[in-house]
Amino acid sequence: MKRFFATICAVLLGAASVAWGAETGSMIKADELKAEPFRDAKALGKLATGDKIEILKREGAWYQVKSAKGAKGWVRMLNVRRGEAKKASATSTATGVANLASGRAGTGQVVATTGIRGLNEQELKSAQFNEAELKRAESFGVPAQEAQTFAQAGKLAARKVKYLKAPAESR
Amino acid sequence: MKIKHASWLIVATALLGFTAAHGFDLKEEMKKKLDEVKQQAQPEATPAASPTPPAASAPSEQQSLLAGFSEKEEIAIGRQIAGNLLGATPLVKDEALQRYVNKVGRWVAAQSERPDLAWHFGVIESSDINAFAIPGGYVFVTRGLYQVLQSEAELAGVLAHEVAHVTKKHHLKILQQGKLLDLGAKALGKKIGEDEKIRGLIGSGAEILSRSLDKNAEHEADRMGVVLAARAGYDPFALPAVLQQIARVSKEDTAVSLLFKTHPHPDARLTQLAAAMGNRFDQVTGLTLATRLQPLQP
Repeated sequence: MKRFFATICAVLLGAASVAWGAETGSMIKADELKAEPFRDAKALGKLATGDKIEILKREGAWYQVKSAKGAKGWVRMLNVRRGEAKKASATSTATGVANLASGRAGTGQVVATTGIRGLNEQELKSAQFNEAELKRAESFGVPAQEAQTFAQAGKLAARKVKYLKAPAESR
Repeated sequence: MKIKHASWLIVATALLGFTAAHGFDLKEEMKKKLDEVKQQAQPEATPAASPTPPAASAPSEQQSLLAGFSEKEEIAIGRQIAGNLLGATPLVKDEALQRYVNKVGRWVAAQSERPDLAWHFGVIESSDINAFAIPGGYVFVTRGLYQVLQSEAELAGVLAHEVAHVTKKHHLKILQQGKLLDLGAKALGKKIGEDEKIRGLIGSGAEILSRSLDKNAEHEADRMGVVLAARAGYDPFALPAVLQQIARVSKEDTAVSLLFKTHPHPDARLTQLAAAMGNRFDQVTGLTLATRLQPLQP
């Protein structure tokens, strides 16, 4: 099992790494602060549930974080909740979505999407069949071969990964 | 037993009603099928005549009836729902974007159990943060959700979740459990056209898309989504990263009202994913391809 994943790692070049500006978060589960983004890396200390952290970047399963005491290290991203813990008010709600929308560039520039509405249940229920639009959607479909070429161009290689079992408590 | 038997007759009738649309004589086929079902349902009455043990034959018939639609029928149903959804909200008018999304989606779907389905992906004009899986391989992401995405891997993760719903036929199962029985009752009385049958099956417009699946179906699609994206060579943590982003949106925000109504809260989904993933993916990385993500024109 371990060797299998090691092989995957070795095969992959350009591991996932996403960097942000300073962003806060909190621990939703206690975790060790690791020196490196590896399971058996040296533990630098411990973070408890609820501890505030600053998220610096992500590498695969791991967030590089800075603890409130200033210690820098790595924790599992799934043990972290991003953003402020407090409930958003109506105003900060709008900012929340705006921040999401601007996340990619990180410039804080948000393009207004005025005129584009959401979808509610009533609209879905009263929707009328649009044959022309459906045909347009279908015209954009690509054959499997084209998708494979596209994947190769991005250096994406298919690999074997087993499906995950449901965790015990939900079964 | 009696009640169960009667309900099987209705299911059989409903399925026949559907088949009839493809050129069979409804009455004749129905009579034939009902006779078959009667025999299947009462195997203990004629044990000698039954080549397989009754205990085995009844569940298998049950399965084949419930497995239900042929792929052709599934696509016909999906086309109607997709066409209705697009009637409510059209595609984003950007051919390069739509083709791009199809390439990513098709590559992810190629890792699933249904690689040969005629998959169709699209971005639709809605400021909501949401995505829809429709039987037959139609998958749509809203503009609002696309705006949240920061890499191709995140797009792949979102599409993979929807692909999982299609391969697991989650929505089709809802249709079979609900409307189909009503339709079966109606079909007993009169001959109806194919379009009317599909409409009867899916209800009004695209309302099926505003219904919630069982929460375990959502958790299953999350688990499968992570794996499908990983199989395709992408960063398996891209889908969790999108969920973490969406978790930050306030529950009161209208952009997530439909999503949060039909799905467990992202925090709950992340907790489930964390429990399922454990440390199995600690060292599994993959590509994010942030720079290849096709920009969304305003």
